[in-house]
Amino acid sequence: MTIGITTYLIYLAVSIALTIWVARTLHKNGRVFLVDVFHGNEALADSVNHLLVVGFYLINFGYVSLALKLGYEVTTPQEGIEALSVKVGMVLLVLGAMHFFNLFIFSRMRRRASLVNGAPPVPPDGYTRVQEAA
Amino acid sequence: MTALTVLYDPTCGLCRRAHEWLAEQRKLIELVFVPCKSEEARFRFPHLDHDLTAQDLTVIGDQGEVYMGPKAWLMVIWALSQYREWSYRLSSPELLPTTRRVVSMISQHRYQIGRVTGLAR
Repeated sequence: MTIGITTYLIYLAVSIALTIWVARTLHKNGRVFLVDVFHGNEALADSVNHLLVVGFYLINFGYVSLALKLGYEVTTPQEGIEALSVKVGMVLLVLGAMHFFNLFIFSRMRRRASLVNGAPPVPPDGYTRVQEAA
Repeated sequence: MTALTVLYDPTCGLCRRAHEWLAEQRKLIELVFVPCKSEEARFRFPHLDHDLTAQDLTVIGDQGEVYMGPKAWLMVIWALSQYREWSYRLSSPELLPTTRRVVSMISQHRYQIGRVTGLAR
């Protein structure tokens, strides 16, 4: 096995492991948020949670697979490690960005849900009789 | 609360433009527009002082809650899905005095503003 192939295999193993770890973290901890957003409707929360994680996996594995190609020859172990660190670093940054994007979506959903049930911002000046239209 | 009746001044260009803009917005609470001092307004709210509603924007909730002037503006903003957050922000103790001042100023000069900006068609 050449050093190039070894680099690719390690890259894939590390990237896949990292993606799975982040996705599982999101799945586990995002659930509480979603249950709150959907007012305790756990079935709906679980369903949305699962759909979000599927999207997360698709985007990340898509990126990992697109970014695989090195484009230059790796001949020494040192070059292999350097190439690996660049590639894994990029995957980590993409995962981080995706993670924060997901958190942003969660918090926005939660905020919107709490706004929909918000009370009027000011008390009325008074009351008047309302004549219903005939 | 599921609906708000907005008694607006149909003779002011700025108000008509605002009405058109509001009609396009996504709402959390239905907005019903009725010209102030109109027959319909007098029929639906027989006990209301209708001369007062011509001076300033008036909004009435479906339980008969009356909001006038700056409060009416805040209630209209509260009804909009996109801007509900702003109604809380603008009615916070820190911002409410400024909101009142700005809204009263716009309200008092609405005909002039309409004329200057070319909205008084």
